Amino acid sequence: MEEVISVKNLTRDYGKGRGVFGVSFDVKRGEVFGFVGTNGSGKTTILRHIMGFLKAQTGEVKVLNLDAWNDSRDLKKYVEYIPGEIAFPDLKDGTTFLKNQAELLGIHDMSYANELIKKLQLDPSANLKRMSKGMKQKTAIVAGLMADKEILILDEPTNGLDPLMRETFLEIILEEKRKGKTIIMSSQMFDELELTCDKVALILNGKIVDIADVNEIKNSKYKTLKIEFINEKDYKDFKKLRYKIVRDQPQYNQVTVKVADKNVNKLFSQIKQCPLKFINETKQTLERYFQEQLFKAKTQSIKDIKYQKKEKRHVK
Amino acid sequence: MLNKALFKQSCKANWIKWLCVTLSTCIMLAIVIIVLGNLSINDIRDSLKNVFVQANQEAYLKENTIDSYNLYLSTVEQYNQNVQLSNGVPVLINQYNNKIQEYKLANEGVEPPYEIKMQYVQEIASRASTRLPSQNPEIIKGYVTAILIYYIDNPTLAPSNVYDEYFLEQIYLQAYKQSYDEAIEDEMTEQEAVNYATMQATSAKTLSQKAITQYKGDVAKEGASYVYSKERYKSYAQTETINAISQGVYNQQIAMGESEDIAKQYAASVKVISNTSISTYEFWLNQYEESDLENPITEEQIQLARQEACKSISDEIPEKVAIALEELGNMDMNGLIIGSIFYRIAGLLLPMVFVIMAANGLLAGQVDSGSMAYVLSTPTKRRTVTATQLAFLITSLFAMFALLTIVSVISVWIVGGNDFAINYQQILLFNLGAFLTMFAIAGFCFMCSAIFNRTKHSLSIGGGLTIFSLVCTILGLFGSEVVPSAMRISAMNFFNYLSIITLFDTVAIMANDLSYLWKFGTLLVFGIICIIIGIFRFDKKDLPL
Repeated sequence: MEEVISVKNLTRDYGKGRGVFGVSFDVKRGEVFGFVGTNGSGKTTILRHIMGFLKAQTGEVKVLNLDAWNDSRDLKKYVEYIPGEIAFPDLKDGTTFLKNQAELLGIHDMSYANELIKKLQLDPSANLKRMSKGMKQKTAIVAGLMADKEILILDEPTNGLDPLMRETFLEIILEEKRKGKTIIMSSQMFDELELTCDKVALILNGKIVDIADVNEIKNSKYKTLKIEFINEKDYKDFKKLRYKIVRDQPQYNQVTVKVADKNVNKLFSQIKQCPLKFINETKQTLERYFQEQLFKAKTQSIKDIKYQKKEKRHVK
Repeated sequence: MLNKALFKQSCKANWIKWLCVTLSTCIMLAIVIIVLGNLSINDIRDSLKNVFVQANQEAYLKENTIDSYNLYLSTVEQYNQNVQLSNGVPVLINQYNNKIQEYKLANEGVEPPYEIKMQYVQEIASRASTRLPSQNPEIIKGYVTAILIYYIDNPTLAPSNVYDEYFLEQIYLQAYKQSYDEAIEDEMTEQEAVNYATMQATSAKTLSQKAITQYKGDVAKEGASYVYSKERYKSYAQTETINAISQGVYNQQIAMGESEDIAKQYAASVKVISNTSISTYEFWLNQYEESDLENPITEEQIQLARQEACKSISDEIPEKVAIALEELGNMDMNGLIIGSIFYRIAGLLLPMVFVIMAANGLLAGQVDSGSMAYVLSTPTKRRTVTATQLAFLITSLFAMFALLTIVSVISVWIVGGNDFAINYQQILLFNLGAFLTMFAIAGFCFMCSAIFNRTKHSLSIGGGLTIFSLVCTILGLFGSEVVPSAMRISAMNFFNYLSIITLFDTVAIMANDLSYLWKFGTLLVFGIICIIIGIFRFDKKDLPL
């Protein structure tokens, strides 16, 4: 598949450890790419580079093989954007704003915009300044999506929406995805990324820690099973069976194991005779996945620090 | 290059501000001009001016009186000096006439040609010069020649009158020349100078005539016992001079269309003034004479006495106060209030507030809030955004001053058009200057708005320096030359060097001094440079959208 967006070794140092450092990723045509990370981790900064609002200090950002900074204007023919910060021009009401935006975009057919308005149950005739946060976000969504362009860049688009509206919005995104659009969105919610994205990048302190393939996580070939035995003897016997133990809690006679799909039946037959308190499957989610990654990253960094300290001692 | 939708958006965001500022400034301007035009604020100033005009008139009147007084006395003195000559003139004329008769008899009644006449004149003059041994023969010869030529030119005169007529004619010509030169020096026109000189010369001649008549009467009355002394003519001189001067003023008032009563009143007060000045003059001459009995009065002392006699109010108050008051009298209140106060300070304040707010809102404000993202996520170049916003800013400013110009021109028309202290050309230049000043300020605010991403920085630099300029102009006003010296603190002029508004030179406009043109040019160039810097900076900078 063709690469629509390619970011190579992008660095922008704001000082004091803030900014983004050596970020590289590619987004292919028709792919939905997510960013997840804490506040201030650098999600918005990356999106601003793609939009051509910021100039890369080092590295390059290309969209459709055009330079994001130099060909910023031409790119906007293919890219639409929902900014993270909701602030509208100094205009009277939503309708005026949307009409004005349509004029700026050069679109005359408002039918798609009206469709979005209907789906989001937005009343655009309200005064822009007095809109609630959710209404503002809906207006921003309509303004951002109404041009129906092939690349969508969405900066925390569900921020401020109530749960029902979030559902509607995610449906809209999935609809766009079905149309074959390339989408980049950032969010703090794992579940909505899991629902919509093909790939999700985890950003921590301006660096991409990991890029996860959501389909792989969802269709994992392993099952995680949590089993609690009534008898201690059964528990000990089970442990001897050499399944991969993720977590062991001997005080409850409890064990969590990771089993390949094909071995599940075998496992069941082996514990068929043992009285169990319970057995349940822990679903693998994006959140869980990243928590594992984060844990690894942290322990790695702690190890790194310890290693560095040791080295220092050696030097002394 | 420009984006219509963005322009419309800017219009929608700013039209209320624009309307409020424009209307209130227009109303302010109309009120200022109409009030100044109707409620003559110049009343006090005029009365102050009148004091000085009257003082000048008084000084002029006194000078005239002393000159006439001296003329009377010198006429009598001169006439007395040449009395022998004047007695001899009829005899000389008879001699001349006899010679002409002889010539006519010899040449069958034909008039002798001019050369022969001159020959006779020379002969008679040479002979006459030896008759008066007390005086320089050359001077006598010259006199006699001149008198005889005068007779040839005026052959109808009786021989006994020729000398007197010649004498008066000389006084007339001298007075005419002197007055004419004075008038030309005072920048009168040719025609005015001729009229003035004729008037002065005529009155001098009349006064001299009276002096001669008086002298002749005295001589005739006393015969051989007559002794000339200057003293005996002083009281005549005084009376005649006062009469002549007051009569002159009376005639003048009647000619100006005043009623007889008023003219008489004027004449009476002039009499008092003239009388006082002559008395003062004589008093000081006496003082000088008594102070040094051995030497005669010097020319310098006479001049001092004359000065004392001619003093008016303006000479009696201290010089600095006199200058201050005169300046106050000459101050151009309309120019000060409309030019230096309205167009440079009061009228600029509201447009400045508009420009500061609008310029900030057009770029920095939208970048700071983030709403610029909606514009820049459409296929619109940053250059197009800056150009469109700039076009809106300058167009709105232009429209504002176009309206202001119309209002000001109508207001000036209402209060009398070109008869008003400020004419159409000046009011148009005021508007142009104010527009260019605002253009420079708008350029600067626009640059700040383009450079900074934060409203607070854009406002504090762009707006702060603009208001600083205005405050400096207010402070500098107290040190500028438009304020009369009594109220002026020249050290405050320092503030004018800190303000860009100083380049809008209303004083030069009022004085029709073309130096305002290069200052206008500087404002324009400053604005354009700021705009160029702003546009290029906005193209290249990072936007936190």
